[in-house]
Amino acid sequence: MAQLIAKMITLQFSDMPDQRHQVQLRTNAVYVNGRPLQVRKAAAGSFTGMLDGRTVRLRAVAHGDTLYVQLRGRGVRIDRVDPTRARAAATPGGAGASHAPMPGVVISLLVAAGQQVKAGDDLLVIESMKLQMTISASLDGEVVELPLAVGQTFQRNDILVRLQTCGDTA
Amino acid sequence: MTTIRKLFIANRAEIALRIVHTARRMGIATVVPMHNQDQFGPALTEADETVEIFGTPAVAAWLDIPGLIRAALDTGCDAIHPGYGFLSENATFAKAVELAGLIFVGPPAPVIELMGDKITARRFAVAQGMPVTLSADEAEDPTTFEKRALAIGFPLLVKGAAGGGGKGMQIARRVEDLANAISVARAESQRYFGDGRLFAERFVEQPRHIEVQVFGDTQGHVIHLGERECSIQRRFQKLIEESPAPKLPDGLRNRICDAAVKLAAAAKYVNAGTVECIVSPDGEFFFLEMNTRLQVEHPVTEMVTGLDLVELQLRVAQGEPLPLDQGDVQFSGHAIECRILAEDADAGFVPDTGKVLLLGIPAGPGVRFDSGVTAGAPVTADFDSMLAKLVVHGADRTLAISRMRSALADTTMLGVTINNDFLSRVLHHPAFARGETDTGFLERHKAELAPAVFTDDERQLMLAVAASAAPDISATRIPEPYASMGAWRN
Repeated sequence: MAQLIAKMITLQFSDMPDQRHQVQLRTNAVYVNGRPLQVRKAAAGSFTGMLDGRTVRLRAVAHGDTLYVQLRGRGVRIDRVDPTRARAAATPGGAGASHAPMPGVVISLLVAAGQQVKAGDDLLVIESMKLQMTISASLDGEVVELPLAVGQTFQRNDILVRLQTCGDTA
Repeated sequence: MTTIRKLFIANRAEIALRIVHTARRMGIATVVPMHNQDQFGPALTEADETVEIFGTPAVAAWLDIPGLIRAALDTGCDAIHPGYGFLSENATFAKAVELAGLIFVGPPAPVIELMGDKITARRFAVAQGMPVTLSADEAEDPTTFEKRALAIGFPLLVKGAAGGGGKGMQIARRVEDLANAISVARAESQRYFGDGRLFAERFVEQPRHIEVQVFGDTQGHVIHLGERECSIQRRFQKLIEESPAPKLPDGLRNRICDAAVKLAAAAKYVNAGTVECIVSPDGEFFFLEMNTRLQVEHPVTEMVTGLDLVELQLRVAQGEPLPLDQGDVQFSGHAIECRILAEDADAGFVPDTGKVLLLGIPAGPGVRFDSGVTAGAPVTADFDSMLAKLVVHGADRTLAISRMRSALADTTMLGVTINNDFLSRVLHHPAFARGETDTGFLERHKAELAPAVFTDDERQLMLAVAASAAPDISATRIPEPYASMGAWRN
């Protein structure tokens, strides 16, 4: 009797990182959390499936562990995850770090390292494409690090500024 | 009359490609600049030649007047088309191009100068009988600016005197907002235009943004090619444009178009220009500004008039008279343009970056897709977030809307978040279908424009397709605890 290693992967939608889904490719169907679904590849990047008894067209492409799928004109990002690994810490830089909400460039620095700031104080101005955004302090404390200079570019989630609450030791 | 044989396009992305197409049809060779941060544009493969330009950050290369002129001269060009944005409305550039012995495809420098400064432009418009809103100009007397602004009343729009494109604009609704509006507008204005001078004017509530495409030639003829409605905006930037403007009474349309032609004629306007107006709910109109260049949204005018605006620009730049009189301009059907942007419209329109991994271009009757990207192209924060323009034409507005809805669903740029689904929701909104467009549309209908929640069935199907698109997953290690379960039987 032929035996087949199951092609099983764990996926999660980028907008719903709390839910993980087990998807298994078998020769007769794709099993999503145990439910068999029919998917046909129509062309490169183009698929058809059934929804409410009707055939719908989807587009999909993989980029490393990220999978992009479009249904009815709407694109979503699905990440392939390793279920044995714990989720990354929510704030890798610690409580006082501000992370870039999007890639961009530093327009101006309004404070300097060593300076005392209050929650809500403006710290620096960043820009991405046509949008300017002021990053303000999330807590009262001291500016311990401003890793970027004016004009320097950064990626999403890069640390823009690190604060330390009064009384903390480095 | 001079003949343009080789054209340098001082721009990039979709507009560079669009200009290449017309130039080629007219037998004009093209040169498009390339930068090491921008090597994937479709214009670079379609132009006859490319030439490297330099600058850090990358946009600086497209603002480097001597660098661009040198590139045009080195490649043997005899004319420069500035496109839109960058140096297209820079009088110094226009002057420098002519001093270098090249033809500038646009109006003469003094006209750019006149219209480029909001304050002189406004004074000129007033002198031509064009209505304007109450305003205060900082340059007149900086010490009393805030006081004069307060005297206009609220809501108040504060913007850079040298500005445009929605940058450096702030609305103050109450007295206590004014100081902040002034400081933000000044900072943005200083940064974008190198000029922090401000201008304040009464903000018309529920305004429609309606603009008139005008064209002049060196023989002194000025005509208009109808109006465009550009009221669907976010952060003062246009997202959807159409022509003709829906529900605009013919009398008002004619008055706006005639006033625009009168203004352009008085300015001795040459080449393509746009007179922007705001129209109040009770049918008053006010001069906003004149853009002395080709507009992003010019294709809607092309689709309803059947004219090629870049061809007209090049002919006029060669000294030819406009090939048609006002009476020869025929308007047919309805056209709509949607700007396809790399942004997450549902997260406050924040720009996104990535790579266009899968590109799906909509097609069909009356569908035009002016793309600035190719498959595999990186989308970076170095440039504007507009990736393409989707333009449709139909016999009437209802047909144009329905064609736009299907074309948006057929638009794919996987690998970067784009706004096609958001645009589709606008196109499906009953108020849009009724033609109830003003610049507050997106804010007012925010709740209804939120994305529908995917059903469980839809999510499961997307997961199944995602897994099917994944690279050969059997070759990957099966992680714990599944590996320890051993082989599955099929």
